[in-house]
Amino acid sequence: MQLEQLIRERRSIRKYNNLPVSQDLIIKLLQQAERLCSYDGEARWRYVYVGTPEARERLADYMVEKLQDNKIVKLVLSKVTDALHKRVLEVPASLIVIAKTDSNPIIHDQTYGAVCRIMQNLQLLGWEERIGMVWITDPMIQNERFYKRIGLQEGERFVGIVQMGYFDKAPKGRSRTPAERNWTEFVWNER
Amino acid sequence: MKLMVRSNEWISNRQWDMSPVPQALILELLNHAVWAPNHRNREPWRFIYISRNNTGGLDFIQAQAPGYLIITMNNENDANKQNENLAAVFCLIQNFRLLAWEQKLGANVCFYEWMYDRRNCQQLGVMDKERIVAVLEVGFCNESSAVVPTSSAAVLNWRSL
Repeated sequence: MQLEQLIRERRSIRKYNNLPVSQDLIIKLLQQAERLCSYDGEARWRYVYVGTPEARERLADYMVEKLQDNKIVKLVLSKVTDALHKRVLEVPASLIVIAKTDSNPIIHDQTYGAVCRIMQNLQLLGWEERIGMVWITDPMIQNERFYKRIGLQEGERFVGIVQMGYFDKAPKGRSRTPAERNWTEFVWNER
Repeated sequence: MKLMVRSNEWISNRQWDMSPVPQALILELLNHAVWAPNHRNREPWRFIYISRNNTGGLDFIQAQAPGYLIITMNNENDANKQNENLAAVFCLIQNFRLLAWEQKLGANVCFYEWMYDRRNCQQLGVMDKERIVAVLEVGFCNESSAVVPTSSAAVLNWRSL
C-alpha cells in the first residue's frame, strides 16, 4: 500500500471482532513506531499494556469506577455504566500511554509531541496489519482516581489509551478541509 | 514499501541541499497529512510557510533551512480539548514527515523559545486564539548527508497492567 493511501484510508476503529491480538506483534509495531519517530535524547514515556482477560477486567473496572461513585449515576445510569464496562471489556488489547512532564515548556511539548507522533506511527503500522485502533482521552477517565489506578507517578501525565483489535468493518472517513484554505505564505516587505 | 520494513535514515537529516522547496509539493503532502485522526474532526491546524529568502525581518529565525513550515493550532479553554488538539497536530506533523521523506524532503520538528513569545507570534500573523505547535524546517537532502541511525531495536519502557 502506498503511504498516502495508508494515511488517507486509516480509520479510528471502535468495534472489534474476536480475533486475539498478539502482544509480541504489538511490541514489534511499537518498536518500529519509535524508530520512525526519531526523537532527540532518551524516551521520556512509558506504556502499560492490557491484554490478558484479568487485566482487561481491571481496566474496565477502573474506567467506570468514578462514574459509579456518583449516587445518582449509580441509580439512574447503571445500565449505561454496565454497557460501558462491557464495551471496554470487549476491547482485545489496550495500551495506556504515559509521558513525563517538565517545567521547561520546550521539553514538555517536545516530549508530548514525540509520544503523539509515535502513536500516529503505531496506528498506521497497525492498519497495515489490519489491526484497528482508536486513541481515547474521554473526560470520564481523566481523574485522579483513575490515574492512581494505572500507576501514574508524580511528574507524569496521562497521554491516552490506544484501544486495538482486528475488525470486520471500517467506518467511512469524514472529509478534510483542503490545506490551501489553511495556508498563508509569509512574505517580508521591506518598508 | 511497507512502513514496517522502512528504515528512518532520511528522517534525521541535518544537512540541506539549499534548493527551494516547491510550495505545490508541500501543499500536496499536507493534503494527505490532514487525514490525521483528530477529535470530532475539529481540524485544529493552520500553516504558515516562510521560505528562506523571506526571513529578512524576522531576526529570531536563523535562516539555515530552505523553508520553515510553522504549524499553529486553535487554543481551547478546556485543558482536555487543548491536549486533544495538540495530539492531532502532532499526528499531522508525523504524517507530513513520513510523506516528505519519500520525496527525499527532510522535515525536522523544531521547538524554539520564540514560539512562546506573543510578539513574535504577532509578527508572523499568529492570532490571539492560536499558538505555534512546532516549526518544521524543510529542505531536500543530499543522499550523502542523510544520517543513518546507530540505535538498533528500541528498548521499550513497557509493563503489563
